[in-house]
Amino acid sequence: MSIFNRKNKRLVQQSETLPEQGLRSSPGWQRFAQNRPALWSLRILYLLFFIALFADFLANDKPVYCRIEGQSYFPILKDYGIRLGLSKGDPFFFQRDWKTETYETVIFPPITYTAQQTDTPNGYVSPFGKQSIRSPRFRHWLGTDQLGHDIAAIMVHGTRTAMLVSIISMGIATLIGLLLGSLAGFFGDERLRTSVPRLALNLIALAAGAFYGFGVRSFAITEGPLFAELLKSLTIFLTFLLAANLLAGQIDRRFKFSATIAIPADTLVNRAIEILYAIPTLLLLLSAAALIKKPSIFYIMAIIGLLRWTGTARYIRAELLKIRNLEYVEAARAMGLREWRILFRHALPNGLVPILVTVAFGMANTVLIEASLSFLGIGLPPESASWGNALQNARSHPQAWWVALFPGLGIFLTITIFNLIGEGVGEAKAA
Amino acid sequence: MLRYILKRLLLFVPMLLVISFIAFGLNQCTPGDLIEAELENSGVSPSAYLVEYQRKAKSLGLDKPTFYFTLTSVAYPDTLYKIMPARQRKTAAALIAQFGNWPEISNFFQQQRVFINQLQTIRKDTATKDHFNMAMTAIRQLSQTYQIPSIQAMFDSIGLALSQNPALQEYMGQEFDALRKSWQQISLNQSRWKLYCPTIHWYIPENRYHSWLTNIIKGDFGVSLKDGRSVSTKIKEATSWTLTLSITSLLLAYLLSIPIGVYSAVHQGSKMERMLSILLFGLDSMPAFWMASLLIIFFTSPEYGMNFFRVLGPYSLTGDASLWERFLSNLLGIVLPVFCLTYGSLAYISRQVRASMITELKQDYIRTARAKGLSNSQVVWKHAFRNALFPLITMFASVFPAALAGSVIIEYIFNIPGMGQLMIKSIQGEDWPVIYTILMLASLMTMLGILVADLLYAIADPRVDLNKKNATNRT
Repeated sequence: MSIFNRKNKRLVQQSETLPEQGLRSSPGWQRFAQNRPALWSLRILYLLFFIALFADFLANDKPVYCRIEGQSYFPILKDYGIRLGLSKGDPFFFQRDWKTETYETVIFPPITYTAQQTDTPNGYVSPFGKQSIRSPRFRHWLGTDQLGHDIAAIMVHGTRTAMLVSIISMGIATLIGLLLGSLAGFFGDERLRTSVPRLALNLIALAAGAFYGFGVRSFAITEGPLFAELLKSLTIFLTFLLAANLLAGQIDRRFKFSATIAIPADTLVNRAIEILYAIPTLLLLLSAAALIKKPSIFYIMAIIGLLRWTGTARYIRAELLKIRNLEYVEAARAMGLREWRILFRHALPNGLVPILVTVAFGMANTVLIEASLSFLGIGLPPESASWGNALQNARSHPQAWWVALFPGLGIFLTITIFNLIGEGVGEAKAA
Repeated sequence: MLRYILKRLLLFVPMLLVISFIAFGLNQCTPGDLIEAELENSGVSPSAYLVEYQRKAKSLGLDKPTFYFTLTSVAYPDTLYKIMPARQRKTAAALIAQFGNWPEISNFFQQQRVFINQLQTIRKDTATKDHFNMAMTAIRQLSQTYQIPSIQAMFDSIGLALSQNPALQEYMGQEFDALRKSWQQISLNQSRWKLYCPTIHWYIPENRYHSWLTNIIKGDFGVSLKDGRSVSTKIKEATSWTLTLSITSLLLAYLLSIPIGVYSAVHQGSKMERMLSILLFGLDSMPAFWMASLLIIFFTSPEYGMNFFRVLGPYSLTGDASLWERFLSNLLGIVLPVFCLTYGSLAYISRQVRASMITELKQDYIRTARAKGLSNSQVVWKHAFRNALFPLITMFASVFPAALAGSVIIEYIFNIPGMGQLMIKSIQGEDWPVIYTILMLASLMTMLGILVADLLYAIADPRVDLNKKNATNRT
């Protein structure tokens, strides 16, 4: 008996420690690193993250550092301070035209324009053409659009938009997909069992939580500060669920309910996936985005996240269907571990690496969706810097090839590197 | 087979029902009040406004409750949906949410109407115009405010107008007192506890969803809000374009990708094949709307001296000319959009053909075939390709929806009056009936596409038993 248990323990411990090995030395990484295009794509991706993070220091009309009349200033940092409310903006700061100022010393960002800044005398100037600028430092390296928006600045700030949208919406999608996919794959239709009182109490708590958390408070939510009120509502909702489950635990123990019924998790999740798969995503996104009164990038992230989880869910489901029959899961079960613990501590971590493939392809898809939406001018605020938005301007003025070329190149490059990374991970996994 | 098709078609029903919930739910979330916007443009007099509003609401079916039931609290009356216009309904709901006593609030509204009616009967010479207008504006705004300070401000405003004008005070004083009393009653007799008692109101079968759904089943998709034409004719015209485009491009993609895929599998590792696969990978990642923009800029504008093609103006498939003549005349305009729709799926399908051919060519039976002296083309086409065909068929299920969705932007860019362009124009013009009908139809088409793919798969591969469980699981 003890030998059996020891073997089981070893198996289970192995499954736990697997992800803690150094990533770089793992055989999967070694295989991935041999794939040169994928490796280089990853490096370019780091570069894109860097550009997205430091967009304000790479393209800005203010200098990074300057010295005027013996005083040192860090205008971009100061701008951050003002926006965060840490620093007060003085008239000196706001009324300045940074380009015409005389400096003792000055360090400008490589691109001396913001994405929103117009430069009307320089409308539609070509990257190689003549530009009316005071110094080569202020040149529009990639040309401008109609109102003189600097294309290079749009490229830099568009990187931030694209990265932000793809990371956050894929984050949401991956979380939902992981949860639903693992429920479907690990428990199937039979193994997610619950006692009748628990199920009934949970259903009641769902309805009550929705009513007292959101229904009753709908006036407070629409009138008050949205985020704080939503948080309160969510707390009420979760409290109901928690109370129901605590109560159910008590009831089960006291009255010794042994009869359980199975929740067909697999069927439910698969139906949901089929329905989402049947509705053309772009059309659904467009109609959902059209409802938003005040366009904001956050709504777009939420909508994409809520719609694009099916790929991850399908993948992790398939993965867990395999894993749940492996020896170590059976060993864990034999040791008497709870099903949920087996799922989250042992089975799921070992199925995580493969979903990097869907995450990478999903990111590529999200970048494309964001670009399409902003290209159509739906869902994103018109003043936000985005590649798709800049590309839209190109159609009205065919002479300005630079307006069409560079933003599109940004989209193309980003999608390509995500696709290459996805392929690389997929091959490293398969080999 | 027939039984299987019937079974699958029956499964469509619950799926379409859920999709209809989604479409209808989105429909209900549409911002703004359509009737209000329409009446504002037509310039109806304020006195006839409510009657006109109710008539319009009845004709659009907006005088019914939304769904079969609502989960709400006891504080709300089950006839809340009858309050019109929608703005007033919102005010009522907001007041109930704050005080919970519908009878008093209803009385308050009643007093407001009495006040307005009395004010309208006043002879213009009794009150000066300024004071009359001041009172009128305030009382009209009162019916749309639900924040307590704003309501107080409106009362102050009316009180000021009355106190400055004795004639007005004499004529309206009684009504004003009644109005003020009804407002005080609301805050005195609060019953906020009612808000915490849930209840369900049933509306069967008289509700908007029911009539919307029954109309759709009858084939009546409603009327476009923009030009008053029926949605089904608008969509019918657009569908022929979209289907022509997507079927042409899919056919082209399949026809071209098979030789490309097979070639690159057979000549795996050669220089030509490597270049081809890089090209295909690049095309796969190339956003169609960028390609379309570039093509339009470089090949349709005279700027660069390469204007071989042109962008189509508005036109339609119906006309006197035969299909072939029109096709020829539009050929120059249709080449670019078809190319843009094709290259993406072409790249995708070729890569899949290559992958599945490579797996097949490694199989033992290929070696056997070669060993018995069959020619190379016989081995490739008769043996390997036959077996590599299956993934191609199932791929139809994912390529077809992609082609439908892809045509949205392509149609928009190339100005082709198809479903995609109709969708975008409707979204920009807030023509909701069209939007949700397209959404439902596109979903139906996608589901049919998936069904067709499954059926083709069963026809191509006799080993597939459709009635077995999991036969439809694709990866």
